[in-house]
Order: sequence, then structure tokens, then C-alpha cells
Amino acid sequence: MSLNNAKHWLQKINDLQLPEKIKIMNVCGGHERTISNAGIRSLLPENIELIPGPGCPVCICPEEDIFLAIQLALNEDVILIAFGDMLQVPVNVSKKEVRTLEQARANGADVRPIASPREAISIANDNSDKKIIFFAAGFETTTSPVAAMIAEGLPENLFILLSGRLTWPAVAMLLESDEPGFDALVAPGHVSTVMGPEEWQFVIEQHHIPTAIAGFEAESMLAALYSVLRQKLDGHLFLDNCYQEVVHDGGNKTAQRYLNETMDVTDNNWRGIGIIPKSGFSLSKQYAAHDARLVFKDYSDDSRRRIGEMPAGCDCAKVVLGKIYPDQCRLYGTACQPETPIGPCMVSDEGACHIWWNTAPRKSKTKKTKSSRLVESI
Amino acid sequence: MSNNITISHGNGGKHMRHLIEDVFAKHLTNDLLNTDSDAALLPLKNQQLMTTVDGFTVQPIIFPGGDIGSLCIHGTVNDLAVSGAIPEFITLGVIIEEGLALDTLDKVVKSMAEAAKEAGVKIVCGDTKVVPRGQGSEVYFTTTGIGYKSSVVDYSTKLIKPGDKILISGSIGDHGAAIMLAREQFGLSGSLKSDSANVISFCQSVYELEGVRFMRDPTRGGIASVLHEFNQATGYGIQMNEADAPIHDEVITICDMLGYEPYYLANEGRVVAVVEAGIAEQVLSIWKKLPNGEKASIIGDITDQHQQVVLQTELGGERIMHELSDTPLPRIC
Ligand code: SF4
Ligand code: SF4
Repeated sequence: MSLNNAKHWLQKINDLQLPEKIKIMNVCGGHERTISNAGIRSLLPENIELIPGPGCPVCICPEEDIFLAIQLALNEDVILIAFGDMLQVPVNVSKKEVRTLEQARANGADVRPIASPREAISIANDNSDKKIIFFAAGFETTTSPVAAMIAEGLPENLFILLSGRLTWPAVAMLLESDEPGFDALVAPGHVSTVMGPEEWQFVIEQHHIPTAIAGFEAESMLAALYSVLRQKLDGHLFLDNCYQEVVHDGGNKTAQRYLNETMDVTDNNWRGIGIIPKSGFSLSKQYAAHDARLVFKDYSDDSRRRIGEMPAGCDCAKVVLGKIYPDQCRLYGTACQPETPIGPCMVSDEGACHIWWNTAPRKSKTKKTKSSRLVESI
Repeated sequence: MSNNITISHGNGGKHMRHLIEDVFAKHLTNDLLNTDSDAALLPLKNQQLMTTVDGFTVQPIIFPGGDIGSLCIHGTVNDLAVSGAIPEFITLGVIIEEGLALDTLDKVVKSMAEAAKEAGVKIVCGDTKVVPRGQGSEVYFTTTGIGYKSSVVDYSTKLIKPGDKILISGSIGDHGAAIMLAREQFGLSGSLKSDSANVISFCQSVYELEGVRFMRDPTRGGIASVLHEFNQATGYGIQMNEADAPIHDEVITICDMLGYEPYYLANEGRVVAVVEAGIAEQVLSIWKKLPNGEKASIIGDITDQHQQVVLQTELGGERIMHELSDTPLPRIC
């Protein structure tokens, strides 16, 4: 059923008379995976470019935050917990020093990967004689359960090193720049579920960029792609919700309330991009006693921000902003592969370089993809 | 006797004798297994012998559709069967962690005995050790399998040629998905079962066919890893067709939730075969008639058009199937 629908959307896209080149950006690692896993790029007309944009919370997590987490894990008598992906992201220090949380663990630090924020509570309760630091990096989707957890009351020994970010300000920043680099936007499904689809209205109203919210099935993605192409052709723009099963007007009010109650929206640094106004979350004052940044403030080191933000040779900053495709980085697939990531984009499952390495046909070796033949056969 | 394994069960004395008699010998007894002797005498046929070794550390030790006992038989006999040998004998090394409930041990050894009976193999000798609590994970088994070579072809990746077809004997990823479900930290539950089973009948059914090139059981690393193995050994490209891949809906759902792909999940009761194109349909129809063979399918081709492992997606697109490199982690959202 949904496969037939997907083929139907694909056919409709291929039937469109598209005169110009059109670049469609997605800002969600999950979307990039949907596109890559279904091989959608190989099925679209050549003038449609699908660009992965700032969609991975691991990739844009500032280097100084990861550095801080590593220092805390190494020097304090704590258990440091983080989402699994964060453990392998390298910081910019010499090879002799500890570069990742994983290496910190190998050096004796108690670093534990978790899959869901709730595990933080149980680890804290099981180790009441220890300080637990939860390094919570993520977008609205991951940050709102952290907020809920805080609102419901944290164990005394649990401290939060918050590195939460909002998605839309990065898109706004791109759109306000001289060269946004895209003509249409696929807006993130999970984020809209939490924050409400209205958040993306500004893209249409202020910037006149066709926008549609997509889910994570090929069908929903293709429907969204068709929608933005039609909008572009017809000149009639509207925020199209192609993920109506879970994205509802207004979003998830409870999640938003938790975020408002426990966190402030602040200007924050994005790795490789810089400070984006009102783009991140900080714990609000009433939770100062649980804010790892305040409790362990001796460790904060502003000078780190000036040390090159990406490892030498790594083009993640351009990849994250959709300025180049992952395989245009010189290190892609040579020095930089998932087992030996140089930059953060090769680490996370949501990172564009990692997704491409896992799915995109290697250019030099593969035969030319016969998208025209494949489409005919549908 | 206490209800849990203690260190004294491994000290060579009375407790150990009880353990061996009341658990292992009770279930595994056969005419070749002699607990009084240190070595077993094996009857020899006028055929070449093949042998394999394997270790089993699965957690949890009991999972939907099987347990470490049956798994250790299936894993061992399957390695022989896909290589062209009918399995006959197994030797068994057992490492038990102090504290394991005797009932649990009894249960997995019983299921081991049943699996061995079904596979037509005899456990001919064994060894038991107990390690202090915390130094093991309930129970580990290591096995050696011995069988008689019975296929007409000496299976080898060297025989694989462009144009050959790739078949699988059943659905993909059931074992890996069932194990993930059973690890309760994921907080999921479902009706899915491991595919753990012996594949002797599938292999034996094609031993007489000249056009069979190579067979493999896609265990750890899943079907993707087997395809990469073919690719690396031969230098030829692999073209796999997603639409033909038999995958249970539950497996897809679990993978979607956790950010895995079924092609990388372990299977414990499946065979992947590369065969000459001319006999592919014949093998398929033989397999489909066997018990558990309904889902058998021709899933891809060996090609000289490219040198990668390429998946033709259901939608008709193409992408590569990467080689498993990092441990798959649950994703961040
Ligand atoms: S958190 Fe969800 S919406 Fe955000 S990038 Fe990940 S998959 Fe996309
Ligand atoms: S390929 Fe590696 S080095 Fe290049 S941009 Fe991606 S992560 Fe950075």
C-alpha cells in the first residue's frame, strides 16, 4: 500500500515540467536516512538536488562542550552518561591526548552510554554515593524528555550538562545569509510533533520558500518533495503537513510546557557554524543546583571556542550547512570513515557523512545509475 | 544439593560428579558418550571428515524461540552443513558462572539435547568449569563439530561467477530482532521468535547439484556481511533486490524504532546459497517445499557491472549496503 503510494508520488514528481535546477534542503538526520535508504536521489530527475542541512544534534554540538564533558569525566569522581553517539565524537586536541569520551573511558573514567534520558534517573538512584553528570545534547525532540525529567524532580546527585538546540534558528540563519543555498525546505517531522508545525511558517511568510513537513517513510518524504515542487511551480506557497498522523497543530503542549518551565532559550554556539541567536537551551536559574556548568564552573574554558572548531581538513562545517555534499570533502572515505571518524558528521547515525558512507554508491567504481530506466519500469 | 551452581561444582569432586550425572549425562546420553573416560572413540566411515569450532555467549541465555543450549547445536551443525558435511559428532566445553540456577542449566541442557536429537548429532565428550561470580555471564558453551563430507562440490567462493544467483532459505533478521526484544532495556515486547534451527535439510537437499557454488549461514553481521564476504572474495559486484527479501513486518518495525537495518541482524536458522543461474529456480522450489522453507527467495545476483554491494530498493532506487564497521548504537532520538 504505502509502497504504491510512494511510487505514485514519484511518478507525479517525474511528470512535473521542471525548467530550472531546484535545491531542496532537509534539516533532519532521519530525513536524510529516509532519502538515502530508499535510494530516492537516484530516482529523481537530475535537476532536483536534495541537500542535507543542519540536521544532526551530534554534529553541531560545540567542541568545547564535548571537551568539558571529557575533562569532567577524567578529573572528577563522577559517572558521566551521554547518548551513545556522543562517545565517539573527537575534539581538537593532539593525538596524544584524550580525544573522545570513549578514550576517556578507556583511560579509566566512568563513562556510560545511554539510549533514553530516563536511564539517567536509574543510574543516579543506583549510585546514590556518586555524582552523575548527564551530558544531554540534542534537538527539541531529545531535549523535551530531559525537560520533563527535570520538571518531575531530579535525584540530588544528578547534574545536567545541557547542550540542547532548536532547529529553526539555524534555518533562519541560513535564510538570512547572502547565500541560503536552497530553494525549498523539507521541515523535520519529529521536531514539529513537539514544537508544532507553525514554527516553520516564517520560512514561507518571510522568505517565500516552499515548505512541507515530512515523516520518515519514503511515501511521506516523496509527498513532501512533490508538494514543495508544486508550490514552486504554481507560486502558491503554503506550509504543507505531509506527516499528519503525528504532527498536529500547536504541537505537544505538555512537552512545550516542560521546556518553558525548566529551560531558557539562549544564544548558543553551533560547532562549525558559530553563535546563532536564540538557538539553544540553558537550564533556568531555579535548577542551578543541578546545572553541571555552574556546579563545575572551574572547568569552563572560553578560550576553547577560538581553537579551530573542526579538525584539520574536515569540511563538516560546510557539510552541516549544506554548502557541499559529504563526498566533496577530501577526507571522505579516505582518512575519514565510520571506524576512524575525523569530524563529527562521520560519527552519528544522523550525520550526513555517516549516512552517505553507508548508502551512497561510491562514485568512482559504480556504474551510472539508470534513474530513467528505473522510473520507466514503475 | 543447593539450587544454584557453586564453585564446588567445578572442583572435580562429588558435587561435580552429580552435576555431570544429573544434568549433562541425563539429557545428553548416547552410545558414544562415556563420562568415565577422558576421550571418545569415534566410528570412522570411508568419507572425508570436516570439522568446525564455535563459541556461544548469547545474552539473555533464554530468548523467544530458543536458548543458548539449542543455539549451540544449531550454530555448530550449520557451519558443517553449509560446508557440505552431514554433522555427526559434537564435543562440548561448558563454562558456568557461579550462582546460575540449576533449573536454568537443566533447561538449556535439555533443549540442547533435543536440538542434537533433531539434528542427528551425538555429544561425544565434554568438559565443565565453574568460574567465580562476575567472571562470566551465566553460561558459555564452546563446541567442536565433526561431520562427513557429503556434497559433490567442494564449495568455495572461487567457483562464483557473474550471472550466478543468490538465494536465502527464509526470512531475514528474526534472531537478531528477537534478541533485541528480549533485552528488556529496550522496553519493547512482541511476538517475534528467533529463527534458531538447524539447516541440514536445506543444505543436504542440494548436495547432489553440480551448480551450487557456495553456502553460508548468515549469523553475526547478518546477510549484509555475507554479501560483503562474497564481494571481497570474488571482486564481483552484488546486486540485491529489496523487493525479494523476505522480512517479517515485526522485524521492520523493531528496526525502524531502533535505527537498525534487518540486513545486519543475525540469523541462526538460515542459509544463503550462490548457485548457477540455470538451477536457481530448481533450488528455490526444493527449498520452498521443506519445513520452514515457505519464505525462501532468490534475492540477488552476482554481477561484473560494478564491484559494490548494491541494494535495489523497493522503490526502484539504488544504494550501497555498507560493510558493518561500528557497533550499531541505538540512535539519539
Ligand atoms: S531528533 Fe528527530 S527530527 Fe531531529 S534530527 Fe533526529 S530524527 Fe530528525
Ligand atoms: S568526511 Fe569526515 S572529515 Fe570530511 S566533512 Fe565528513 S566528517 Fe568531516
